[in-house]
Order: sequence, then structure tokens, then C-alpha cells
Amino acid sequence: MALVLKGLAILTICSLGLAACAKTDEPGATQQQAGQPPGPVRIGISLPLTGDFAEPGKGIQEGYQVWADRVNAKGGLLGRKVELIFRDDASDPNRVSSDYESLITQDKVNLVFGPFSSRLVIPAAKVAESYGMLFVEPAGAAKEVFEQGFTRLFYAAPAIASDHYNYLADHIARLPAGQRPKTAAYASLDDPFAQGTAYGLRDRLAAAGVRTVVDEVYPPETTDFAPIAAKIAAAKPDIVVGGTQFEDSVGLVRALQELKVQPKLAAFSTGPTLAEFPAAVKGAAEHIVSPVGWSARSGFPGNDEMVRRYREMFRGEANEDAANGYTVGQIVEAAVNAVKCAEPTKECQDELARHIRQGTFDTVVGPLSFDDKGRPEQAHMIQQYVDGKVEIVLPEGSKAQTAKLVYPKKEW
Amino acid sequence: MSLLLQGLALGVLTGGLYALLASGLSLYFGVMRVVMVAHPAFLFLAAYLAYTMHTAFAADPFLTLPVTVPVFFALGVAVQRLLLARLAPDNLAMMSVLLTFGIALTIEGLLGTVYTGSYKSISMDYATRSLTVGGVHLPYDKIIAFLVAAITLAALFAVLIRSRFGQALRATIQHREAARLVGIHTERVAGYGFGVGLATAAVGGTVLALITPFLPASHWAWIGKLMAIIVVGGLGSVAGAALAAVVLGVVEGLVLVTIDATWATMMFYVFLFLTLLVRPQGFFGGRLAHRF
Amino acid sequence: MRIASRGLLVLAAVLAAGYPWMVPNYYLVYAGALTVMYAAMATSWNILGGFTGYVSIGHSAFFGLGAYGTGLMVTRWDLPWTAALPASALLVTAFAVLVGIAAVRVRGASFVIVSIALVSMTNLVVQGWRSLTGGSTGLQVPSPFPGLHRGQGHIVFFYLFLALLALALLSWWFIGRSRFGAGLRAIREDEDKAESLGVPTAALKVAAFALSALFVALAGGLYALWFGSLDPIFVFSILTSSYMVLMSLLGGVRHLFGPLLGALIIAPAGEYFLIALGETQIHLTATGVLLVLVVLFMPEGIIARLAGRRAGAPSIPEESAGQRLQGVAR
Repeated sequence: MALVLKGLAILTICSLGLAACAKTDEPGATQQQAGQPPGPVRIGISLPLTGDFAEPGKGIQEGYQVWADRVNAKGGLLGRKVELIFRDDASDPNRVSSDYESLITQDKVNLVFGPFSSRLVIPAAKVAESYGMLFVEPAGAAKEVFEQGFTRLFYAAPAIASDHYNYLADHIARLPAGQRPKTAAYASLDDPFAQGTAYGLRDRLAAAGVRTVVDEVYPPETTDFAPIAAKIAAAKPDIVVGGTQFEDSVGLVRALQELKVQPKLAAFSTGPTLAEFPAAVKGAAEHIVSPVGWSARSGFPGNDEMVRRYREMFRGEANEDAANGYTVGQIVEAAVNAVKCAEPTKECQDELARHIRQGTFDTVVGPLSFDDKGRPEQAHMIQQYVDGKVEIVLPEGSKAQTAKLVYPKKEW
Repeated sequence: MSLLLQGLALGVLTGGLYALLASGLSLYFGVMRVVMVAHPAFLFLAAYLAYTMHTAFAADPFLTLPVTVPVFFALGVAVQRLLLARLAPDNLAMMSVLLTFGIALTIEGLLGTVYTGSYKSISMDYATRSLTVGGVHLPYDKIIAFLVAAITLAALFAVLIRSRFGQALRATIQHREAARLVGIHTERVAGYGFGVGLATAAVGGTVLALITPFLPASHWAWIGKLMAIIVVGGLGSVAGAALAAVVLGVVEGLVLVTIDATWATMMFYVFLFLTLLVRPQGFFGGRLAHRF
Repeated sequence: MRIASRGLLVLAAVLAAGYPWMVPNYYLVYAGALTVMYAAMATSWNILGGFTGYVSIGHSAFFGLGAYGTGLMVTRWDLPWTAALPASALLVTAFAVLVGIAAVRVRGASFVIVSIALVSMTNLVVQGWRSLTGGSTGLQVPSPFPGLHRGQGHIVFFYLFLALLALALLSWWFIGRSRFGAGLRAIREDEDKAESLGVPTAALKVAAFALSALFVALAGGLYALWFGSLDPIFVFSILTSSYMVLMSLLGGVRHLFGPLLGALIIAPAGEYFLIALGETQIHLTATGVLLVLVVLFMPEGIIARLAGRRAGAPSIPEESAGQRLQGVAR
């Protein structure tokens, strides 16, 4: 035993001596050797390609790939080719940290892009923040993301979760008293983003005098929505709001049909913005509204090009997730071109963050600017299925609007 | 009041399905005293096979049953004869859990690799309609699930009670040594018992595919629930498990419409612990489980 | 022989302590700390599993409670981490005593079912109790060493986990040589006989259950401080406990260094699989197949295979149940 202790003591002394040759992998410690041609700009990304968030994770990955393809077609970033390095985090926050840790310190990437979901963005941003890396992310919209004191985080979409329904809330509040709905039921997935969207609307409608009659939260593993629908049916609300992702939006719609709930307005986040939604709910999609940060026909700079290129590369239609991924690329691209560096050094990353904080950026989701916490300062539009097509119905009178909001909705 | 009735109705329908899903687990425990953690994973294997049938051939998911039931029966026999029977008997209960846990992980990984990690679902035309009886809505898909479960369980009981194989199986469950003494090949019977158990997973999984969306990791949520059901029902008692399943289904349904989903799931574990504290052999089963 | 094995021990300790200074980057320090954490948890699991033969796949409940306990005390009550860590670990241990009293009433299959239920229940409570734990939003725990940059933090936690591992190993070693340990082994060999000979089996089992929960809870608390963000679904994961079991079995449950050896193999292999095969879920299959193979062909573990026959006495001596019972009952 004593021997072990002695050994340990010796060891401590030795290790203190060794500390002199400590890690040389502080981000940015590997400088380009002078005279060598610069290699590609390597961008590290961890995404949930498997697990609960696999579906949107894939969309964002494709958005990143389309962006990289476009940049490389134009000759790259600062004349260097862009190379994306993807890792799968299996929707697990431990993995996401592990991934960024190894991307930054082992692969020594030049830049990192964010993962999907508020649940994964916080642990990921912690790693990036502590290594001083810029962190522009496509999917961490919950308000908690911006309350962690991150200084290099920016959310590349028009608005944070709780503001997604703002146009809808304003529209309802302005309806003449006779038409205005009186009661609303809310059912939300236990997830910071999904809850954020539903509660943002709830709080605004409550302030406008719409009474909350059901307020349900269901855990992520829920697959049977009949009991929640039964509660909603018993309350006979004028409005049904789902704080949903994809599968649960489909499950809720089906269960509401089964229990013969016929609200005047049905709003669901995320699910209805995906192309698979109408087929999954078999025609019940008509007149369902959702907040959407992007539209294929918005005409914003680069949007048409992205939609076209996406179709060529993936033989499908681009969706909001892909657009958000593409937006991250556009913002970082603009910053890199303005600051003229893409190195993982503290100076360069600080410079990039400073540039993004004060600028306004033209992206496929419209011009974006950020407040001091990295929150975007614009707003989400409201879409609705009208005659089987996705139309932008709010804001009223904007360039993007393609149809008028239908209210009350037809029965499903 | 109508809300409670609605919760009750949904609970009974769901409970019937639970009874089918848990019956296999009871059989395994009966014939071998093992806890088959991989049972829910096999359920979802069957669900994915039904999904493939539905998407590739546009066929009704139930048409997979003539294929999956025999295949799952053979798989069950194989799992018992090739894997579980090889374990040392002195620590069988513990080691069998680990072994079947490994099988569950293997299946989950393979499903994830073949079908990707995202949700799949089968939606039939009747999926959104319901039968209304006295103000209570009974969704057709749940009625179908309940009926299939009832028919399958009835067939299972008929086999257990009427056939010679069923008698041998019950004898093996009740007293293995005695069964051997009267000339029953208990090893072979145990293998077939496993086969029958897994065959119920083929039916259960197909029904499950009809009423819920699923992903490879779905089986985790079912392990705890189904375990609670067989403990409350009395380990090894198929009839006890069926009763407990309906009771717990109703409790879950009522809690779901009155409180919330977290408490509804929690009820399974509350009943599990109550059972172990008050009546470790289970409420509906025999004395079988006493020492397990 | 003794000197040789001691020398080996010292060499291993020296290598372990020098590890953070020998690897080229912080990611490997991070992976090393993770491995040592798993080794400490598996060794701790083995206090119950190895001595009594009770297989718990519910120990991640204690890991999660330890993590959330520490995190909540630090964030909600502003306790210093040095107080929060032991306080939450002791609370978890007290909880484990209560659970243990109910759990060890049943044996075999029922015990395993209870342990699975334990993880699901704790997960439900922590996820559902939003006002306290933050629910699915997670709990953010501030770093206890704000002055250190991230890589240095990894080094500090590497040593903290190493100290925990040493503590767990020492405890196992002492128990193995005590009457307490002899009683536990008697339970493994023949519980009914031990009981009839007057061994207080229930009390011994509860003590072993609680002790093994203690170190796992400490590991959970350290994890919370190190990692900084807790998410109920992943902290209360049955996969974490199954790793503890797999590591212990692979290395050898009857040997002091069995779980450690298992951790040294499984944890790096897991990281490798995820990086190499990370695009699909085939890594789960790899883990599953490995578990099946170990249970079928090597339930006694690697150490038993390699050293057992050659060098003679393993850490838990192979004596007959009768001899052991005499030793305890006297």
C-alpha cells in the first residue's frame, strides 16, 4: 500500500514536469505552415441521423450539403474548397458533446455548424463556446437556448419558438367580437421547442380573452393520442393547438377525427410543414395552419437556386429544415467573406461573431439580424392548406402572402 | 362523466391489446422461468415486417401473418433450444435477462440499419373513423386490435386446455420434474412453448403496427409496462396476465383522461411495487411465482 | 509473486495517472475520463452483482438521481459542489436502502423486473416534475471550475473519476476480505441455506445494494458537474446500466479488476464503433451480439478465462458453499 502511495507521489511530480509539454491542440494552435497552399475549409457538424430526431436531422444535413455544393460551385470560401464532416449523435446529448469535442480538438475543423433540436443545441453550444468557436445553429429555437450566456451562438431562422405564432395571435385578436373564438385547447409534446410554440400562442390568446380549456403535455414516447383527444372533445374548444413534431401531429389529427372533435381552427407546429403530412393524415390536412419560417416561393435572394439544386441532388422538394441548414451556411459564408478568415483561432472566431451580431444578412428565409443573445429579430409566417395546397396566409398584405386565411375551417 | 366513460372504453380496448402482448411473456416465464426482455423487440420486428408488406405490395398488414407466425414460431424454438437452453441452470433467471437484452439490442440495431431511425406507420382507411355508442366514441382501429387480440387469446387458451401439447405444456409449467416423470419431453415442450410465445408476438406486432407509429427504439417503452402486467397477474399465469392487462389498461385509460400521461404510465409501476409488497406471487396467478 | 503483482499494480497506476499527459489531444482526455467513469460505476455495480449474484439493470437510476441531486443542490440552493456531491450521494444511498428493502424481498426474475421498473419510474418523476427539474428542457449545471478552460476541466475530472475508481476498488477489496463479504457470497451460493444458518441475508443484501448505489451516485454527481447539462431521458438510460453489467461480466464478476478490465475494453470500443459506424444503428447490434456472446460463452469473464486456471486463486476463492456458510455462521 505504502508502495502504491509512493508511486503515486512520484507520479504526480513527474506529471507536473510533463505539464511543460501540454496539449498543443488549443483550437487554432495548428497554424498553416507558411508557403503551403491552404487546404479545404473543413466544417464539423453533428446531427441526429438516427433516433428521435432523425427525420429533421436528415433535412438539415441536406440543406448543409446543398449549401456546400453551391459554395464550391462558386469557387469555395476565400478560394478554398468547403468540406463538411458529419457525425451522428443518435439524438443523444452525451454523443453531441462528444462529437463536437472530437471535431474541434481532434479533427481541428475550421468552423462548426449547429445540430438539430433545442435539446441537443445547448450541450453542443457549451462545447463550442468553451473552445471559442462560432456557433450558428439551424434548430435551437426554445427560449432557454438564449438564456445560457452564450456569446457566439446565433439562431439562423426568423424567430424563436415562442414568437412563431405571433401573426396568427394578432389576427385572431383583431377579429370582430362576434367571430372571435372563445375557447382554446392546447396539447404539447414535452419538448422545449414544441412547448415554446404552443405556449407562445397560448399566452397571447389568453391575453386577448380566449379562455384556455385544456392544457396538456404528453411525453415523447406517447403514441396513443385518443385519451388526449377525449379530453379535448369533452371541452368542445373553438381552437385546437398542437405543440408538435411530426408523428405526434399525425397521431393527434387522427385521434381528434376519431373522437369527432370539430374546432373552427386547428394549428400544429412542424408536422404540417413537412411534405409527408397530407398523405399521412389522409385528406384531413385541409385548413390546418402552422407557423413556417420559409416558403419555397418567397423569392428571397438565393431561394430559387436552393430549391432547384435541392431537387437535383435529392429528387424531392426542399422543406423548412433544409432551408434552415442552408441559411446557416449563408450567414457564415457572408461573415467569412467579410472578415476574410476561416481559421479556428480565437481572434478569427471572435471577429466572425462580432460581424454577425451587428450585420443584417440576406438569406433564403429573408433578411436576418440578431440581438445580443443571438436571438433572431424577425417573424414566422403562417401557412395553411387551402384546396390541398400549402399557401402563405399571414401576414396580411405582405409580399409572401399567397391566399387569405380560411376561418372557420371545414370539418375533417 | 362522459369523459370517464370514454376513458373506460378506451382503457378496455387498449387493455385487450395489452393482454395479447403480455401473453407471450407469461408463457416464457411459465415454461422456463425466464424473463424475455426481447419480447417487445420482436413485436416491433413483426410490426416492421407488416410495414414492408404494406408498402411494398400494398397488401393488408394482416396478410403477413401466414408468413410471420410460422417464422416467429421457428425463431422462438430456436432461441430457446440454441441460446437459452445452453445457459447454466444455477443463475438462469439473471443470465437469461442479459441474454435476451442482448437479443433486443441486436434487433433494434438491425431495424435501425435497415429501416432508418425515423417513425414509420401504416394508415388504413378505417384509421380515422369511430363507432359511437351512447356518446362514447370507439375508434375502429382499436376495436379491430381488441378483436384480433381476443381471437388470438381464445385460440391460445383452446390450445393450452384442449390439445395434448397444451396439457404437456401446462404440466411443464406447473411441475417440471413431475412432468418429466410421467414421460413428457419437457425440453422439447419448453422449446415449443417459446415458439408459441413468439408466435403471439407476430400477431401482436402486426396489430400494434396498425394503431401506432413506431421506430426501432419503441420497444423500450413496452418492456416496463408488459413486465408490470405479468408480475401483477402472477408470473407464469397466462390467464392472470390477461386479467391484469385489462385492469391496468382501464386504470391507465382513466388516469389518462383525468390526470396526465406521466401518472398513467406511473400507475403500472405503482401496481408492480404494490403487488411485490402485498402479494409477491401476483393477484390473479397461482403459487407458482412464489420464489421467483 | 507478490512483488511482481505489486509492481504491476504500481505500473498500472502510474500509467493511469499519466494518461492525460501522454495523449495528443483533449478529446482523448475526455474519452479517458468517460472510460474511468464507467470503470468506477462497473466496479461499484459489482459490489452487488459480484458478491451476491443479484443482477441489477437499474443502477442508472442511482446515477441519474446522483446527477440531478448534485445539479439541483448547486443550482437551486447554491450549495458549493464539494457539499452538494456528498450530500446528494448520501440521499441517494438512503433512497437505495428504502428501495432495497422492497427489492430484495424478491429474487431472480422479479428482482430484475424491479430494477428495470426503477429506471423507468425515476425517469418519469424527473421528467414530469418540471417545476423542480426543468423536465425535458434539462438542467444546466454551472462548471465548478470556471477559471479552467474546457480541456483543463477534462483533466481535473479525469483525476476525480480516477479517485472514485480507487475508492470503489478499495471498498470491493476490503469487503472481499470481511465477514460482510463472506455473508454476501453465502447468499450467492445458496440463499435459503444461508438464511437457515442464521445469516441476516436481508440486511446484508440491502447493505450491499446501498453501498453499490453510493458510488454510482457519486459518479452521477461528478458527471453532472463535469458535463454541465442533464437531460432526463439520457441520464436515466437503461443502456447505461446495461453497460455496467456488460463490463463487469466481460471482465469477470468475481475479480477485483474484472469490471475495470471490462470498462477498458467496452468504453473505447463503444466510442470507436460510434465514430466508425456512427451513420447507422449497427453499433447497437455490435453491443447486443457482444452481450449474447459473453453470456453464452464467457459468463465468468476474461480474467477467469486467462488467470483462473493458471495462477490459482481468484479474488473470490472457490470454496464450497458449506465451508463458506460455516465461516459466516460461526
